[in-house]
Amino acid sequence: MKCITRSTASRTAATAAVLLLGVATLAPIAGAAGLAGRASRTESVSTASWGATASVTSMNFNTNTAQTSNVTNTGTIPLTAQSYVVTVTRPFLFVPTFQVFECAVPWVGGTCSGGAGTQVGGTLDSGTTTTITTTTALAVGATEYLQIEPAGVFLFTTTVTISPEVTAPSQVRAAIKTNQ
Amino acid sequence: MSPQELHPQIAAPAAPAVPIHTHIEASETNKENEVSSHSHTAKKERRYGKIAVAGLLTTSVGLLAAAGVYAGLSATATGAESVTSGTLNLTLSPDVGAGFSNFTGKMAPGDTDNVYVNLNNTGTLASAAGLNLTVAGAPANALTNGSIAGEGLTVAATQCSVAWTLATGTCAGSTTTLLAPTQVSLASAGLALSNVPALAAATGQLAHVQVSLGLAGTETSVNGVAPASTIQGLSTTLTYTFTEQQRTGVSTNQ
Repeated sequence: MKCITRSTASRTAATAAVLLLGVATLAPIAGAAGLAGRASRTESVSTASWGATASVTSMNFNTNTAQTSNVTNTGTIPLTAQSYVVTVTRPFLFVPTFQVFECAVPWVGGTCSGGAGTQVGGTLDSGTTTTITTTTALAVGATEYLQIEPAGVFLFTTTVTISPEVTAPSQVRAAIKTNQ
Repeated sequence: MSPQELHPQIAAPAAPAVPIHTHIEASETNKENEVSSHSHTAKKERRYGKIAVAGLLTTSVGLLAAAGVYAGLSATATGAESVTSGTLNLTLSPDVGAGFSNFTGKMAPGDTDNVYVNLNNTGTLASAAGLNLTVAGAPANALTNGSIAGEGLTVAATQCSVAWTLATGTCAGSTTTLLAPTQVSLASAGLALSNVPALAAATGQLAHVQVSLGLAGTETSVNGVAPASTIQGLSTTLTYTFTEQQRTGVSTNQ
């Protein structure tokens, strides 16, 4: 076994001290490569949120009676379009179909201001999942009114789920360029 | 043992003129020391002492003389040189518009916020070519830390040969790209601006720089709920820092 004598230990400590001193001396020299001029400014930014929320997302149909769901822009910027992912279950017997209509005002008695409203997408078959898109502009807090109208024979319950989706930047207000 | 026993020639003033030999027995140490004394030894020693003193005096005088000669040969020459160090000072001011200020709106993907600034080297030293831009966000979040791939704030810089048209954000002259759109998350460590010349002392200016802040990303909210990792509804304060370096050192021979 190699013994470390006192003089060896002292020499080692002295060498380490010299090395440390050298590193401590060189570090600030390396960092001080010359003069630098700096100018700083700050800018605060916030981002928007976007989304549409449906008042009813799942509807059970046992008859040919239409049901409604109100979709509100719950984000902080206007929307220019919205998509709806509509899923229709497939009953054991018969295959009813569905259509989605939208209206700018609440549906009254199954009509949109006395009219039929505007159909969104095509006819949705049982046992399918379809994404339909409307280009209706919705201001922040504004609501559009959907009516899902069934057609066919209902022996068993058929469930329709509707999930509104909003994607930015394609379905929100146009990009803004600010010069200040 | 008494002193007389050890040094009988000193202790006995009536010592005989003839040389005598005295044997002293050191009974306590059992060592025997033999000392021979002669009558003329004392005189010799006194003479030697005088010689030694004289020698010492001579040596001292010699040394003093030599020192005097040395002091007389040293010479000093002095010269004066005045040195003044330079300064490097970068300032940032609006070009057209308000310059950097708070973006009051809510940014959405695709939005751009442009500010127009001038960078001036007002120091007494010229700068080296190139500038470094650091953009740091506080608090750091998905807008600035790159936690969502492909999303977050971006920064770009473009120079116009003439003043920008504030109303439209267009350049009537020619444009030079200083920094292509880059994620702010990458700018926290500093980005080198391209095509920036050395700025002359006191008057050097990088003028008509448009700094564009953008928001990149594509996100879908489902039934009003944003994704778990999102750039929506966040706020941060960005600090833009431009840094110039001094010109290279000059070696002067005069």
